[in-house]
Parts: sequence; structure tokens; C-alpha cells
Amino acid sequence: MMRDSDLDDLFADLRVVRAEAPASLLMRVLEDAELHQPQPVALRAAPAPRRLWSLLAGGGLGGGGVLAGLATATLAGFWIGFAQPLPVTTLTAALWQQETLADDEGLDLVELIPTLDTYLPEG
Amino acid sequence: MPLDALSDVSDEALLVLYANGDRAAARALTIRLTPRMLAFAGRILGDRAEAEDVAQEAMLRLWRVAPDWRQGEAQVATWLYRVASNLCTDRLRRRKRQAATTLEDAPDLPDGAPGVVAALIAGDRIRALEAALAALPERQRQAVVLRHIEGLGNPEIAAVMDIGVEAVESLTARGKRALTALLAGQRAELGYEDDGHDARQ
Repeated sequence: MMRDSDLDDLFADLRVVRAEAPASLLMRVLEDAELHQPQPVALRAAPAPRRLWSLLAGGGLGGGGVLAGLATATLAGFWIGFAQPLPVTTLTAALWQQETLADDEGLDLVELIPTLDTYLPEG
Repeated sequence: MPLDALSDVSDEALLVLYANGDRAAARALTIRLTPRMLAFAGRILGDRAEAEDVAQEAMLRLWRVAPDWRQGEAQVATWLYRVASNLCTDRLRRRKRQAATTLEDAPDLPDGAPGVVAALIAGDRIRALEAALAALPERQRQAVVLRHIEGLGNPEIAAVMDIGVEAVESLTARGKRALTALLAGQRAELGYEDDGHDARQ
């Protein structure tokens, strides 16, 4: 009569008989592996810093429209600064009214820190 | 990377390496797992050519699932045994459709398969056990092979066969009883003496 221990012996015998996979099978499995293996993600170099002109030309500041606006504002600023048209001068005078008052009418000067001469006479 | 350097790396880590494009990991997994799947399928199917097809197909599915493998959810070997088990089941069902007799209809405790007798006459213990295993019903055979030959634990077998642990215990117990019955009376031919001492010693 077979006993459990006998059966366990038979199992142990069978365990050591590992099927050797034939080379042809291993090759087929490896071919499948290579066929379905995901490709590693390629490393990309960091983009070079953009120069000012390439930034302007490439639309880095918002495109041609924005660039044209910047150029117009720059030219207008230069022209106003050199030509000083009358409306601008008037406006400037209004803005710098305090200076005008100081020049025309003068301001009372108050001496907030008295001189020490009063306290220094000998006697 | 040399294969020796990967011998201590877990199956799951190797699978992650494979998914990241490491070819050495593919070789290590192939060498490690293909023979196990081949042996398992061979014992379930009893056909070498079919077992090779099953082992290759199971490994192919492993390669395909690698990019989406969720770490920590399942062991790679257990997952692979499950795939191989399902592939074997499919092939056995196909055989059933092709043949008039079915393995499921075979009695749990047959009087003795002809293959067993032939193997015993040849004095081949291994072949005798393999023949006895082949005479078991499919589910019992799977459970016994996974538990006692492949060395999986009951929870792993439950995951492979998609059944509960108690069902695994029942299947393996019934399978062992069936094997004992199949090999009953052949103890001496298997190399055992009746007084309980191993005649091989």
C-alpha cells in the first residue's frame, strides 16, 4: 500500500527532473521579447538659451504685432523727448506746478533747527 | 549587464527593467521562467510540442503586459502560471471536443491506467508518476502539480486556478488519494519494500 511519505518521495524525484528548455524554444521566446520590448525613452538635449533677436523674431514676446507696438512706442518716446512739443511742455508745467510756484513767488523759509549761537556766548 | 549580476534580482524588478528597454533582463527572465512554464505545461498536457507552444505563448503575454505591469499586485511567476494554466485548459478542452472521451468524465479513482502499468514494468518511477498524474482529472492534476512539484503555496495556487484556498486543499487531497490508489499494489515495483523501508537504500 502506498503511503503519503512514498508519494512525497516520488514528488521529490519528479521535482529534480526539471525540463530543460531546448535552445530553439529559448531563441523563439527571446525573439518575441525583443519584438515587443518597449524602446527606451531617448534623452534630448536641453534647448539652447534663446538670444534677444531670435526671441523677438521667433515670437517670444507675443508676435509681430507686439513687436511693432514696442517699436512705435520707442520712437514716439524719443521724438517727444527731443522735440518737446507745446502740449507736452504745458502738461509738464502743470505737473511741476510746485517748482513753478517756488520759482515765481518763493516760499517762506522756516528755520526748524535754531542755531546754537544763542547758547554759546561767554559771560 | 552580465546575467550573473541579475541572478539575485526579483522577477518583478527584471520585468520593470525589461519594460525600460533592458535586453539583459529579457534574457534573464527567459532563462529563469521558460523552463518552469515548459515543465508545468508538459505535466498538464503530456505533450512536449504543445507544452513548448504554451510556454512560448505565456512568455509572449508576459512581454506584452510588461509596460502596464502594476508592481506589488501579483507575483510574476504566479501570473505566468495562471496564463499557462488557462492556455493548457483551452488546449485540453479542444482535445475534448475532438475526442469522444473526456478527461472530466474519467473516474476520480481509476483502477489503473495502462500507462502506469507500462511504466512500472519498465521500472521507471518518474514515468510511473507522470502516467498516474496524467490519469487524474484536469483540475486535480493542476492542483497537485502546482503544490507538490512546482512548490507553490495554497494561496498562490488559489490565485492561479481562480478558486478558494479550501477548494485548493480539497483538490490536492483528492488528487493525492487518487494517485495513491493508482499506484496501489505497485509499491515493490516502485522500489519500496512492504515493511516500509526504502528498497533503494
